Amino acid sequence: MRFLIVLIMASLLVAAVFAADGYAARQLLRADPDALPADAMLLRFGVRRGRPLFEARCAVCHRTAGSGDPARGVPNLTDNDWLYGTGRPAEIEKVIDYGIRSRNPKSWNLAIMPAYARPQPNPADKNIQPLSPRDIDDVIEFLMRRQGRQADAAAGARGASLFTGHGGCYDCHSIDAKGDSAIGAPNLSDDVTLYGDGSREALHMSIAYGRQGVCPAWVNRASAASIRELALYVYSISHPGAIENGY
Amino acid sequence: MSIRFHTPVRLKMVIDPKPRRAPWRDPSQISNARSFALMAAGVLIGLVLAGYSLFTARSASTLIVPAEDVALVNQQPVSRADYLALLQTLYGVDLSHATQEQRHKVLDDMIREELFVQRGKELDVAATDPDVRSALVNAVELEIAENAMTSQPSEAALRQFFETHEDRYVSEGVMRVKDLVFPASALPELSAEPEALERMISDAQTLARLNGRDSGRTKDEEFYFAAKIHLGDELFAAARGLASGMVSKPIQMPDGIHVLEMEQNKHPVPFGFAAARAQVLSDYRNQAVDKLKLSGESFLRKRANVLVADDLR
Repeated sequence: MRFLIVLIMASLLVAAVFAADGYAARQLLRADPDALPADAMLLRFGVRRGRPLFEARCAVCHRTAGSGDPARGVPNLTDNDWLYGTGRPAEIEKVIDYGIRSRNPKSWNLAIMPAYARPQPNPADKNIQPLSPRDIDDVIEFLMRRQGRQADAAAGARGASLFTGHGGCYDCHSIDAKGDSAIGAPNLSDDVTLYGDGSREALHMSIAYGRQGVCPAWVNRASAASIRELALYVYSISHPGAIENGY
Repeated sequence: MSIRFHTPVRLKMVIDPKPRRAPWRDPSQISNARSFALMAAGVLIGLVLAGYSLFTARSASTLIVPAEDVALVNQQPVSRADYLALLQTLYGVDLSHATQEQRHKVLDDMIREELFVQRGKELDVAATDPDVRSALVNAVELEIAENAMTSQPSEAALRQFFETHEDRYVSEGVMRVKDLVFPASALPELSAEPEALERMISDAQTLARLNGRDSGRTKDEEFYFAAKIHLGDELFAAARGLASGMVSKPIQMPDGIHVLEMEQNKHPVPFGFAAARAQVLSDYRNQAVDKLKLSGESFLRKRANVLVADDLR
């Protein structure tokens, strides 16, 4: 008889855990994603469930720790430097939902890095003209100067006028080269590099042959709850102490 | 009519020195009361589970709006993610900062859209509206392509693809070439011997005497594609084969005799796998998507019953 009582109690306990989990999952989904960092309990719940999802779906590109891979142009998710948006959970969730250049109509797909050493740098925008090899070198010198590194001053000056002139770089990266997170144009004036090590060769590859990284859309491949949990996990690794501090 | 339960009598019970417990509490005894209680509990749990599933399952008609949605319109969900995105797009606010009016307006707009979409399906607008047809084709292609977009190919598969299509992954050639043009009358005097011709064109006096001049078609370093546009196909073909420092043979063209002096010629260089990887991945996925689209189309054709008019067979 005692065994029966223990069995019933254990079943009730399991049922209670499941019910509590289900309740928390529903709360998580109904909450405003941007308000979740302030709710330590839900944040912890989401992060705990998001981690294995990240390891199963995202780590293949972003690596297990989320540190990314500059050799492949996979962004670091732990440095709180955001290519798209400002790192709010809702923005992270949108990227996971619809992806970047994923072919999903709702994906972030407003711009690509044109290949300035090709006859048609951006097939979608016929107004963008190729640059000459010297122009590309000048733009590189301008960027090196912008990052406070050693560079040819005369070439840098020519590069600056190309950047803000017929090169058209300012159109995405803005006049001060600080980028535009509304379209995923990286800040070119800091030391965070998306592709390569920031060397002249790496910059040359980006300017001459273009970039158009892709992040897949998970909206039809994962549940809404999983996507929110993933978003919270990514938020947590980019905001160390978020769970402890509850912000 | 009465139901009689067989209750075995055990000798052990008679000689058991322990005090007797109520039969329903003793698992070693068969108890009708306990059996009925457990059966009732099982039925109750089953009914609760069935009821919960019935009212919350996606496919079933339900009165409860799932947590990931903000509304159900004729059982069709209106996604919460879309709601939040629309709130952000229209008013630039998140849910916690949106006013009650903003929330209602966005929700109302989405419900209205869903109602019209459902009505559109009833009216079969896809049969007549080319925009709807095109949107449907795109959506189905996207659905087919999703597997290829979300799967990550192995490094070995990417490397094999790279090796198969190595010619795609090369840098753009660069040349700095001077294009000298002479009148046709100068042809007899222009040596066919490259070294002698090089001496002639490097001498300003000889150049002036033969009325030779820089055509101005090229300047500074140019990528191959730019040089090809500026020089034309024939001159570019001749220039491409010249090594740095070499001079071409005189080339007769409608506008005179051309001599190309190649100052620097950097031929296209194949990229290594690491440098080309991003492009390889993109091309690999595009190819996978194209294959999936083809097989999707072939499946649709196979299962379809298509009748073609006699005159078009």
